[in-house]
Amino acid sequence: MLVTGKNISFTYDFGGAAFALQDVDITIAQGEFVAILGCNGSGKSTLVKHFNALLQLQQGALKVAQIDVGNTEEIWLLRRLCGMVFQNPDNQFVSSVVEEDIAFGLENYEVPRGEFPARVRSALALVEMDGYEKRAPNSLSGGQKQRVALAGVLALEPEIIIFDEATAMLDPSGRQEVVKIMHKLHKTGKTIIAITHYVEETVAADKIILMHQGRVLACGHPRAILTDLDLMKKAELIPPLPVRLYYDLQQAGVNLSNCPLTNEEFVEAICQFRSKT
Amino acid sequence: MRSLPTGQYLPGHSFLHQLDARVKILGLFLLMAAVIGASSVQGYVLVLMVVAICIQLSRLPLRCVFASVRRVCWFLLVIWLMNALFFAAEDALFSWGIFQLSRGGMRQGFRVVSNVVLILLLGNLLTMTTLPTQVTTALESLIKPLKLIGVPTEEVAMIISVAIQFIPTLMEEAELIKMAQIARGARFESKKLAERAASFLPLVVPIFISAFRRAEELALAMEARGYRNAKNRTKRKKEPLERHDYGALAVCALICLVQFLLR
Repeated sequence: MLVTGKNISFTYDFGGAAFALQDVDITIAQGEFVAILGCNGSGKSTLVKHFNALLQLQQGALKVAQIDVGNTEEIWLLRRLCGMVFQNPDNQFVSSVVEEDIAFGLENYEVPRGEFPARVRSALALVEMDGYEKRAPNSLSGGQKQRVALAGVLALEPEIIIFDEATAMLDPSGRQEVVKIMHKLHKTGKTIIAITHYVEETVAADKIILMHQGRVLACGHPRAILTDLDLMKKAELIPPLPVRLYYDLQQAGVNLSNCPLTNEEFVEAICQFRSKT
Repeated sequence: MRSLPTGQYLPGHSFLHQLDARVKILGLFLLMAAVIGASSVQGYVLVLMVVAICIQLSRLPLRCVFASVRRVCWFLLVIWLMNALFFAAEDALFSWGIFQLSRGGMRQGFRVVSNVVLILLLGNLLTMTTLPTQVTTALESLIKPLKLIGVPTEEVAMIISVAIQFIPTLMEEAELIKMAQIARGARFESKKLAERAASFLPLVVPIFISAFRRAEELALAMEARGYRNAKNRTKRKKEPLERHDYGALAVCALICLVQFLLR
C-alpha cells in the first residue's frame, strides 16, 4: 500500500472537542485513482494535508510511500514524492513567468540548473501547455493556470499527486481540462488523489472515500457509493443526475436494468428498456 | 476584459532587457536620485529626456509602460490638489477657510506629481524588462554586505521578488472588491474630494484580509513544493558584468552628477 493511515484524529482547536478528523483509517494502493468526496467541512482537505506533512499528525499513524509522516527528517523527500495542487491557482504562483514558476520546485530541491529547461518543457508537455514557457500566469485562463500549477508539481516527478479541490474555482471547460489531465496522468501510472465535492468528477475513480464531519462514512467503488441514496443523503451530497433519474423513473414505474452513473450509461439503459418493451 | 499588465515582465531583446539586473537596480536608484534632485526647468528637461530614452531603449509598447500611471491618475490628482491647496505661500490666488490656492503650491504639486510619475515609469521599466528570478538574484547580490550584520539577505530578496509578483493580483482583487461594493451602492465617483477619499476606506480592510489569506495559501503552496529557506536552493551562476553594463552604470552616475551640478 502506498498510503496507510490508522486512527488519524486532528483538531484545529487545541484542547477543544471540535475534531476536524476523527479516527480516520485509510489505505491507497500504488497507481490508484482515489476520489475523496464530501461536503464543505467534512475534513477532506485536512486529511490530505497530512499526506505531505503540511499538517502535523496529532493522533494515529500514517505512512506515505513507506515514510512515516511524523518523521521530520524525511519531510522534504515526502513533499517531493507527494505533490499537491491547491484550489486557487493564483495563490500558488511565485513568479510572473511560467517557466520560472515551474522551476521553483526544482530550485528548492537543488536540481542542477542545466536540467531545468528539459524538465520544465516535459512538465508543460504533460499538461498540454507546450510553448507557454515565457507567458505570464495571470494572462492565462483558469484551467490553463491550474495546469501550469500542476506542471510545477510534475516537474518534481512525484509518485502521488493530490488535487485539493483543484477544479472548485474553474468554469466547466476549465474543470474538464483539469479532469482530463488527471486521468491522463493516472494512465501513466501516477497515484491520483482528487478531493472534490463535485460527484460527477468521482464517477471514473477506482475508489471513493466518502467523508462527513471528519469521519470516513464509506469507502468503495463509485457505483456502490454514488447509487446509495441513503449514504449520499447522510453525506449531505446529491447523487449524479443519471442516478437521480433512475430512481425517479423507478418511482414512476419505469424499471431500468441497472442504475447508470454516467449520461452514456443512462442512454444505453433507456435504449435497452425501449428494445424490451 | 483583461487589463494591461502593470509592471509585469514582458519578454524582449532590447538593450534594457539585455542589461544585467544588478546594473538596472543600481541605475534605477541613481536615476531616482536625479529625479528627486531636479529643481530647475533644465533639471526636469534632463530627467524627462532620460526617461524617454529609457522607454525607447526598452522597446516596450507605450500603453503597457504607461498603464500603471493611468491606474493611479486619481491618486496623482489628489496629491496635486493637496499641495496646491495646503502649501503655505505668499502668492495666494484665493483663500477659503483652511484652503489657500497659490502659484507656489501648484508648482510644488506639479513637482511632486512629476517625481512620482517619473519614478513609477523607471520602476516599471525595471520590472518589465527583468525576469523575477534575475531581480531576486540581483537583490541578493547587492544586499549581500548586510549579511555581516545578521540580515537574512536571501530571504529578504525572495520576499521582495514574491511581493512584486503579487502586485497585479492584488490590484485585480481591489478592482473586484470595488465592483462588489459599487453593486451594493458604494459611490466612488463623487466629485467631492472628502467623500471620494472616505469612500475608499471600506476597500482597505477587505484588501488587507485578502492579502493575508493569499499570503497564507502561497506559503502553504511553497512549502508543498519543497521550499525550506532561501539558502538551500539551486544557486544561480554569477554572470560577470559586461562592457555595456559598466557603460550604462557610468551614464546613470553621470546624469545624477549633472543633475546635482544644475541645482
